[in-house]
Amino acid sequence: MSFSQQKEDKEIEEALVRDLQAGNLEAYDKIAELYQKKIYGLSFNLVRNQMDAQDVTQEVLLTLFRKINTFQGKSAFSSWVYRITLNASYMKLRSKKKEPNISIDELLPSFNGAGFQQEKIQDWSGNTESLLFTNETREVIKKAVDLLPEKEKVVFLLRDVEGLSTEKVSEVLELTVPAVKSRLHRARLFLRKKLSGYFEEYNSRKGEA
Amino acid sequence: MICCKECIDLLYDYIEGALDQNTTKSLEEHFQDCPPCIAFLNTYKSTTTLCRETLNQIEIPDEVRRTLQNFLKEHKTQQEKL
Repeated sequence: MSFSQQKEDKEIEEALVRDLQAGNLEAYDKIAELYQKKIYGLSFNLVRNQMDAQDVTQEVLLTLFRKINTFQGKSAFSSWVYRITLNASYMKLRSKKKEPNISIDELLPSFNGAGFQQEKIQDWSGNTESLLFTNETREVIKKAVDLLPEKEKVVFLLRDVEGLSTEKVSEVLELTVPAVKSRLHRARLFLRKKLSGYFEEYNSRKGEA
Repeated sequence: MICCKECIDLLYDYIEGALDQNTTKSLEEHFQDCPPCIAFLNTYKSTTTLCRETLNQIEIPDEVRRTLQNFLKEHKTQQEKL
């Protein structure tokens, strides 16, 4: 995003916050228009269910309207929106039975004593174009992301999926930049390993066919 | 000469272009001699692209959009009465 675009977004946000705080009801529609896709998308990736994501989106919109006077502008408005969305999604998840997470360490790369890779690495990156649009692949990707531990998952969703900058993620989650980077790197390693298992099997199936 | 473990620890900053010149040079020298690490780099990058393209395409279904619109309208009417 260019600097002038960022500046423009910031001005739009600030005007919107002022309108909301002044009780201007037209601002409600603008908020919904600007943020509901982001709110719904992020919450859907966390709760993985249409009804629940809808509930979360309604609740977040309502919170934005009701709590707008507690927003002090210390962080960007959009960071505040993301934080409220995360909290509402977690509340929703807490009310459901949760599958236990697997340990991320088991899926990190392993090395021998001299620091060389121990496993055979297949390069499936050239095949991703054709793989991307199959439903099977989409399901595998969703499942892999669902298996990420919470701490890594949220960083991955905000940074790599929503496309926020590392600095912005650190603002939303109140984490240091190095902590964001380290969690993101671990998340990517975990997902790479999960997807590798699938793509290697997929390629060998295709080879046999 | 850096080893595979160091190479993978540096991947994140390498992709961001955040490494200094010397470290970048040693990393690229390692890649020249190590096909598995090249494969790792390529698949590491592809992982992000694939996940992003799958997960950020989520559209609000029409029925949800309608529910949200009604919800908003109702809330506005309530506020107007106050």
